[in-house]
Amino acid sequence: MTYKSKESIVAILFLLPSFIGVTVFYIIPYIICFIESLFTGGQFVGLGNYIDLFSNYSFTLALKNTAIFTLTAIPLLMVISFLIALFLNSFKKLSSFFRSALLIPVVIPVASLIVVWQVFFEDYGAVNGLLNVVGLESIEFFNSPFSMVMIIIIFVWKYCGFCVILFTAGLANIPDAYVESARLDGANAFTIVTRIKIPNIVPTIFFVFLMELIYSFKIYREVFALFGDYPNEHVYFMQNFVNNNYYNLNYPRLSAASIILSVFIIAILLVFFKFERKRSHLE
Amino acid sequence: MKKTKSVLKYILLVLLTVIFLFPLIYMLASSFMQSSEIENILNFSNETFKSVDLIPNMFSLEQFYKVFFRRPEYLLKFWNSVIITFPTVIMQVVFSSLAAFAFAKLKFPFRDKLFFIYIVLLILPLQVTLVPNYIVLDKLNILNSFMSVILPGTFSAFGICLLRQSIKYISYSSIEAARIDGASYLKIFTRIIVPQIKGGLVTLTLLTFIDSWSAVEQPMIYFSDKGMYPLSITLADIADSDYGVIFACGVMFMIPPLLIYLYGENDIRSPFTSSDKL
Repeated sequence: MTYKSKESIVAILFLLPSFIGVTVFYIIPYIICFIESLFTGGQFVGLGNYIDLFSNYSFTLALKNTAIFTLTAIPLLMVISFLIALFLNSFKKLSSFFRSALLIPVVIPVASLIVVWQVFFEDYGAVNGLLNVVGLESIEFFNSPFSMVMIIIIFVWKYCGFCVILFTAGLANIPDAYVESARLDGANAFTIVTRIKIPNIVPTIFFVFLMELIYSFKIYREVFALFGDYPNEHVYFMQNFVNNNYYNLNYPRLSAASIILSVFIIAILLVFFKFERKRSHLE
Repeated sequence: MKKTKSVLKYILLVLLTVIFLFPLIYMLASSFMQSSEIENILNFSNETFKSVDLIPNMFSLEQFYKVFFRRPEYLLKFWNSVIITFPTVIMQVVFSSLAAFAFAKLKFPFRDKLFFIYIVLLILPLQVTLVPNYIVLDKLNILNSFMSVILPGTFSAFGICLLRQSIKYISYSSIEAARIDGASYLKIFTRIIVPQIKGGLVTLTLLTFIDSWSAVEQPMIYFSDKGMYPLSITLADIADSDYGVIFACGVMFMIPPLLIYLYGENDIRSPFTSSDKL
């Protein structure tokens, strides 16, 4: 047996446990799901279920809200956590206590924090109390477009520390010589960040983006904990739609919704991987 | 000038830390309050703004006493959470590290394509996978058992991505050297790879633990028996029914992940480098 084919066989053995799982719990379900989405009550309807969905108000609302959330929360989180990572890096010596504190939000389970958010954001909560002291009007966080703002704040607060850690690890891998020689050439701090640091951590940036994408879909937990089964229309996410349709047992509609959402995500991922491929060729 | 700048920097640092730590401190402080004080805090209808008190008027263990001795159903829910979480975490760490090793260091045909398919399938949010999974779990006849939450939760893109990234930082030369010495792949994996990705493994353990510990969607849909619900779901209900114990329950609920975090803290801060580079 050649050396190469032996390596392939070993690779397959290493992959086998997860491959079986992925097949049973992901690939097969998808095929079933796709087939179900083409039928209504045993009757083949082709793309009928899909077309119905797009004229369904709650579905388009859920899709819109999910898109708004993903497109604002992720860039915001990336910028903030990158800035904090740079900020922490600017200290010559830093007690590990500060870095530990960053990860606390990710460690505390969602369910434990519900009351805290309520005390903060209720109509007569601490935040509104503060706004009133400054002379501003109260904000109805639980029943206005600000619900979305509140969810985004909670998301950023929660995952910020984790992203900072990832960015710090990436920044630590940039050879000091690069930064040093740029400084000797008279580059200012801003140029060093945009021309040296950012280009050198592109793989990390991709990785952080991927992680955040995964996490952004988990925000439903916060929404459920704060708003229950029927949140207001500003934070009615895809998961709410799916959950509420479970109770009606409308499988064809659910399956079609799943397939549509997958197509969106696969499109984002394809673009993402194209970019990454391009970058790694340059390096 | 330089001095004021560094003072400002430290003020900002402390401010950031307070923002991140505040809810934790607040939870802890409130869990030692008496019922009457907590009810006052959580009464949102008396039209006065909440002040955030960190020092209980009267230090009391009343809430913890209630949770542990008077309301056994919370402990039962806690145990449900344990049953769901531990197998999920262990299996996920093992399977993910095996697959990550293959994707990061072994060469085989269609490697990158397979990796792409993996990521696409596994990254799809619960919103999408819940439905198809439900159908398969139904066919496998394991709906309404703990297995229905544990098994699908074992496979995640997250774990494979994270560990693949960690393993990538290990140089080929050490693997090559071991192979020339005649070490088997399994030996390379257990003796060379695993010890060097401790940071990644601990990070994955913690994050998987938290994820599965706070599972809401899967149990809600797969379990028809509400007695099997983990504490993560019940805590949201307690907020409506029994104000008093909510803080104590919340504190009890966050102790396990906090313990894992404190134990692995140093490793987590360097998920990609085995040495202490940060």
